Amino acid sequence: MREVVTIQVGGFANFVGSHFWNFQDELLGLAGDLESDPTFKNHGLNMDVLYRCGETHEVEGGRGRLMPTDSFAHGRRLLILVSPCLQGVLTCTPRLVSVNYQGSLGSMSSSGTLYNQPPDVPPPVTTWKGALSTQRSQRRKRNLFLQSLYEDEQRQSTGVDNGHADAQDEIRDKDIVECLENEVQCWTDFSKVHYHPQSLYELSGLWMDAQEFNNYGSGKDVFSEGIRGEEMNDRIRFFVEECDHIQGIQVLVDDSGGFSSVAADLLQSIADDYANTPVLLYSVRDPGSYMRYKGRKMNISRDLHDAVSFARLSSFCKLIVPVGLPFLSGGKASTYLHVNDEKPYHCSAVYAAALHSLSLPFRMDLLGPTAISNRISGALDVNGIVQILPGPRQNMVAIVDSTMPAHSLTGNPAEQPLLSKLQSLTPEISEDAQDLQSVETLVVQGALASGEQRASVSEVQQAISAAYGEAMTRPRFCHLSVSTCPLPIPLPFPAIFSDAVGQRGEILGNPNPDAAPKTSLDVHSIPVAARLRSSSAILPFLSNRLENLRKFGIRRGALGGELLKTWGFGKEELEDMGETLSGMVRTLDPISDEDSDSD
Amino acid sequence: MSLRVLNPNAEVLNKSEALRMNINAAKGLQDVLKTNLGPKGTIKMLVGGAGDIKLTKDGNTLLKEMQIQNPTAIMIARTAVAQDDISGDGTTSTVIFIGELMKQSDRYIDEGMHPRVLVDGFEIAKRATLQFLEKFKTPVVMGDEPDKEILKMVSRTTLRTKLYEALADQLTEIVVNAVLCIRKPEEPIDLFMVEIMHMRHKFDVDTRLVEGLVLDHGSRHPDMKRRAENCYILTCNVSLEYEKSEINAGFFYSNAEQREKMVAAERRSVDEKVKKIIELKNKVCEGTDNNFVVINQKGIDPPSLDMLAKAGIIALRRAKRRNMERLVLACGGEAVNSVDDLTPDVLGWAGLVYEHVLGEEKYTFVENVKNPHSCTILIKGPNDHTIAQIKDAVRDGLRAVKNTIEDEAVILGAGAFEIAARQYLVNEVMKTVQGRAQLGVEAFADALLVIPKTLAENAGLDTQDVIISLKGEHDRGNVVGLNQYTGEPIDPQMEGIFDNYSVKRQIINSGPVIASQLLLVDEVIRAGRNMRKPS
Ligand SMILES: Nc1ncnc2c1ncn2[C@@H]1O[C@H](COP(=O)(O)OP(=O)(O)OP(=O)(O)O)[C@@H](O)[C@H]1O
Ligand SMILES: [Mg+2]
Repeated sequence: MREVVTIQVGGFANFVGSHFWNFQDELLGLAGDLESDPTFKNHGLNMDVLYRCGETHEVEGGRGRLMPTDSFAHGRRLLILVSPCLQGVLTCTPRLVSVNYQGSLGSMSSSGTLYNQPPDVPPPVTTWKGALSTQRSQRRKRNLFLQSLYEDEQRQSTGVDNGHADAQDEIRDKDIVECLENEVQCWTDFSKVHYHPQSLYELSGLWMDAQEFNNYGSGKDVFSEGIRGEEMNDRIRFFVEECDHIQGIQVLVDDSGGFSSVAADLLQSIADDYANTPVLLYSVRDPGSYMRYKGRKMNISRDLHDAVSFARLSSFCKLIVPVGLPFLSGGKASTYLHVNDEKPYHCSAVYAAALHSLSLPFRMDLLGPTAISNRISGALDVNGIVQILPGPRQNMVAIVDSTMPAHSLTGNPAEQPLLSKLQSLTPEISEDAQDLQSVETLVVQGALASGEQRASVSEVQQAISAAYGEAMTRPRFCHLSVSTCPLPIPLPFPAIFSDAVGQRGEILGNPNPDAAPKTSLDVHSIPVAARLRSSSAILPFLSNRLENLRKFGIRRGALGGELLKTWGFGKEELEDMGETLSGMVRTLDPISDEDSDSD
Repeated sequence: MSLRVLNPNAEVLNKSEALRMNINAAKGLQDVLKTNLGPKGTIKMLVGGAGDIKLTKDGNTLLKEMQIQNPTAIMIARTAVAQDDISGDGTTSTVIFIGELMKQSDRYIDEGMHPRVLVDGFEIAKRATLQFLEKFKTPVVMGDEPDKEILKMVSRTTLRTKLYEALADQLTEIVVNAVLCIRKPEEPIDLFMVEIMHMRHKFDVDTRLVEGLVLDHGSRHPDMKRRAENCYILTCNVSLEYEKSEINAGFFYSNAEQREKMVAAERRSVDEKVKKIIELKNKVCEGTDNNFVVINQKGIDPPSLDMLAKAGIIALRRAKRRNMERLVLACGGEAVNSVDDLTPDVLGWAGLVYEHVLGEEKYTFVENVKNPHSCTILIKGPNDHTIAQIKDAVRDGLRAVKNTIEDEAVILGAGAFEIAARQYLVNEVMKTVQGRAQLGVEAFADALLVIPKTLAENAGLDTQDVIISLKGEHDRGNVVGLNQYTGEPIDPQMEGIFDNYSVKRQIINSGPVIASQLLLVDEVIRAGRNMRKPS
């Protein structure tokens, strides 16, 4: 088995991660649910790639909290299995380290929800006989959703289940969905996942608010101060040590502010410690981060931040994928979606869906090129991806495209072929670039043949290869992975589907922009296609950063020189960064104007 | 999100308003930390919004748990945290000293004095106090064998400000022995060579010194021994897992046979490495009942573990980078980066290696080593916050011992230095100062008294009475500190109450610097901004 360890750093990265893990939790739950669609029971995906098994060791009164396994309902938490012969409770938790501000966990304890939960009454102090003063922050209230999760578990652990209160549950689910629409503040507010106590790391003692923690410089000492760096490394080591054969580390970084430099330092030490383990990096941003900056000074600082943080982050990974458009709503990426750009809860769901699809090939058992499965095809591990995509040009920056819900393969003639519906989630790319050298990896999951009918693996393969055959420009190389398992929509998912989306994600007709959006109660699963693309279309993204770095940072008398000094960068480092960026531009565009520096 | 918006008007405040803001912020922070100080201070339990508990009696930890938003307070907090980074102690004293300097200044400024004059006085007083510190300090001779008694007294003084007496005394012995274990003559002390490990254990509260190493992981093969005596230890940083070599994309489309071949070749090369380790094991263990343990910084995959297990070898993977160094210091031998040309002299030795399992947590003890230069302090506690608090205390204790050895001096505690320095400034220094800067010296001198005053206050004593009686006793020519039970003067030397010299010096140095910045408010606003990104 080839494990993947995931690291999430910063606000929006954890929002995306929260949805991502909700999908996994939902998959695990559906696999054990007697009534679920068979495609979820036998999906051919190895969930242990992302999840670890463990065991708690402290059991009150010697009795485990008994959790029945036959009651996975739509949206409920994956329950814990109990083995009576063991002392503790068996657990199944993500191989994850999440880093965020102190206080960003809302009502969730930093030790997660399974192991040693904080007691209601603080235990007596055993280390000090003198005076004690207790300072209690106001208890963070659980929202309706978390409350219902909690009650479910209480009910199950006491073994009392008052039969079928389905009708009432139905109403509650509606309330829950609505409450989440309006009340989500932290990523934990909509998380149904049990996390391991090593997973959630909070940065304390920053003494900065989000407004100040908005540039590369503001995070520059965070990793090295005190023992923070050591603590983060220890947690990562905990998850890596137990891997028999780690295939890679998947990293999500909110690169819109100070977390960029925290992540860069962390990645640097990962590169030292696990030199042979490939790192796949998604830098993610929410639309809000584009709106926050006004004024010229702010803009220079912003442009420099973007350049510096991209240059630094890309130097500690094998493949970097910038994710996050200034606007998700209204774009082509959301024809069948109603996304509210102001809600991180909304936007992060769209990105998480794409990341979920992209992670499927990592979990397809490597059967060898000749073996055939009727559930999956196209296994590709992290190492494979980071080797294939850069291609002969060694371009390590990839574009991500996705479409959700993905159109059916045939059927409704009003629907365009799936391939042409893929829309970029990477900002600042050129839409019409034609690159004969491009390399792509495409993942199609849960595609429908027509109507509600799911397509088989070979139908998808045929349709895609036909589509590539007809396309005007073809990539030099394309790798296709197919899973028949669609994206399950968990209860805690935003109401972003247009009225034209059916229960299985099928397209029912033309969307009516005035109709109320559909929720997770209406749409239970959707087909998704996502693609990574190594193409010269990324050039604008790269050259913007290069130019800004030269203009505001490197050139003599540059306006941002002083600022960069306070961020800890000297002339030489900046020139190195410029060199890295221009190298990236050159591989994609050999005739690029090398002299743009002199004007 | 708990990080809230700063007062957006901070930058448009006029000079006197800004000064007022600085004074208030400094006082405010002083109020929060004051009750922490000394062996009679208050321990704080912080219960977070999700019920998480933090327990602390340490200024440094408390500051880090606080959501500080005022820029002045942040500046002071940063100074205090830096104090801890540099010298490992004295954060609470730093904060209350800065607060007091501001309070004293406030009085004079109210009377119309210009802050600049105070700042000049501070500078003079600081220099004089530092000179006085040199005279006041108690030298400690550190020969080949450091004076263990004095080391114990210093660390006990620190530990008793964090833990109740019996517990502090138990730890005192441990931290002193730990530092003496890792100390090498003529070399700076690297406290990282003391590993601090913890175990959560509901019913077992205990801390002990393990002469050797405790690792927080175990072997990953069911057939490996859980306990072995007389062990050779191989410390290495060699990947023992199958890794796909760098190959181009074409590989993925080439035929199955070719793929299989590549895989087999790669596997063979890993197996070769494992075999070399087994060869060495056979060479040294053949015909004896000695054992062989591999501790690797890189990964070891299941096929490799299998081979090692079959050969009777215990193997641990992904050891912490720092443990490579510690292992060699504890067990001897050397850490190798390659298994080519392995010879028996790279091997270390441990009398006993065993595994301890608690739920999903595993620990490996490497003990009974000869002449170790690395060791582990193992803390057992009932819950995370108790463990964390003991850990903080242990770190403080270790620093106190290290500082003493490196300073080759200690300072009499319990307020003795502050009383003596204050009298020196007032009686000797002030008369040598021209003009109103005298008042700055006086303000500084009085601010020093905040330490004994706060110690008295926390002990429930009347601060006025205490200061009067201490000053009186001092002026009779004695060195006096505060008896925290009675409020009477005591001789700290007799009681064994000693603080670190470098900690005191750092407090005297940084306090007035920050206070001056806060007083010269024009510069403060700019400095305040810089402080957020200290360079
Ligand atoms: N037995 C004692 N009697 C009186 N005073 C004592 C005694 N032991 C220590 N002190 C004094 O207590 C002060 C140290 O207190 P404490 O350790 O709580 O604060 P700190 O070192 O300033 O900050 P922190 O340890 O929180 O970083 C020193 O001034 C020391 O001389
Ligand atoms: Mg102290």
